[in-house]
Amino acid sequence: MSKRHSIVPPISQAGPKPPVQFSSSITIADSAVLTGSNPIVIHSESVVHPRARLESLGGRITIGRRCVVHERSTVGAVGTEGRVTENGVTLGDYVTVEVAASIEAGDTVIGDGTTVGVGAKVGRGAVVGKHCTLTPHTVVAAGEVIPDFTVIYSNGMRRMDKRGVVELKNKGQARQIEVLRRMIPSNPSKFQ
Amino acid sequence: MSRRPPRGEYIETDTGNKVARKATLVGTQNIMLGGKTVIQPEVMIRGDLARSVPSSSSTASSSGAAGGAPPNNTAVAIGRYCFLSRGCCLRPPGRLYKGAFTYMPLRMGDHVYIGPGTVVQAASIGSHVHIGQRVVVGEFAIIKDYVRILDETVVPPNMVIPSFSIVAGQPARVVGEVPEGGHEAFELRELYKTVGNNPQPAPS
Repeated sequence: MSKRHSIVPPISQAGPKPPVQFSSSITIADSAVLTGSNPIVIHSESVVHPRARLESLGGRITIGRRCVVHERSTVGAVGTEGRVTENGVTLGDYVTVEVAASIEAGDTVIGDGTTVGVGAKVGRGAVVGKHCTLTPHTVVAAGEVIPDFTVIYSNGMRRMDKRGVVELKNKGQARQIEVLRRMIPSNPSKFQ
Repeated sequence: MSRRPPRGEYIETDTGNKVARKATLVGTQNIMLGGKTVIQPEVMIRGDLARSVPSSSSTASSSGAAGGAPPNNTAVAIGRYCFLSRGCCLRPPGRLYKGAFTYMPLRMGDHVYIGPGTVVQAASIGSHVHIGQRVVVGEFAIIKDYVRILDETVVPPNMVIPSFSIVAGQPARVVGEVPEGGHEAFELRELYKTVGNNPQPAPS
């Protein structure tokens, strides 16, 4: 018996194993955590980093094409109310959920091409438009509707993104996913 | 079996690193610890995000290496007497470089303190740097020596913080200067002794 034990602790797989529907081209790390009782759907070429949490207790989770969900983020966090809705969280295509961000469940929608910054929080029922940027530590209140191309800063300031770099950003995301697919050992069968 | 001493919370290596068993180190082969570094529980280091495009400098030097040594894939390099507090996260920054996406190594000097809940995606951090709690250091930020970053700061991507600055705010701004003779406050040797499997009380 070796003296040094694994430093990676076992992942607490609390709760039931959710029914999943994965595209064959996704990359999902072995140590991602999927819990809940409602279905989790992940569309083609999306990447789920190690230790990301997808919780479908508060409703179905849909992740679009070419999304990147970074480590330690929570998609579908059950908020204080614990309401169950049919569509818990819907992420569009090309969405990036950065480290330690949290998206509450309850008909929450994140539009295509939106970036949820490090440690940002999106409340339940919020509808974030397409190609928005939430900077680190931003808080979006529950039920808030945010128009397309909005940039929200953590001090509450907002502005419109008029750069028109959607195509470039999408291309960059595709390149990033190409690299991540080679780096993150994918194990979708573990969740099926 | 039962006579074995209870396993400590930390693994202490020969070079004096103290790594908590509950820390999550991904891609350990790409993480370099300089020695005497403390990694507290719930810390996450993403060593798996290594450089995927060979750098021009490493190809030039590889001809001198004996027998074609394996390429240097270090993703996270940490110096001596660094202190990574509970719940912080280190990940190498990534960007498009010559048309291809690649991650770049994250380099840290000596005596770097990183507060709890902080996320660091800097390109390089100098020596004697103090980063507070819940700070976000954006991608490719460069932090020079003797810098103090206050709590809840958001350092934007690509920012360069000069030596002896005190930085705060969202987004980060230089709000002051480290006072003359304030260098001793950055020493982490005493803090290093206060954690581990048989910690010593901090000197008062």
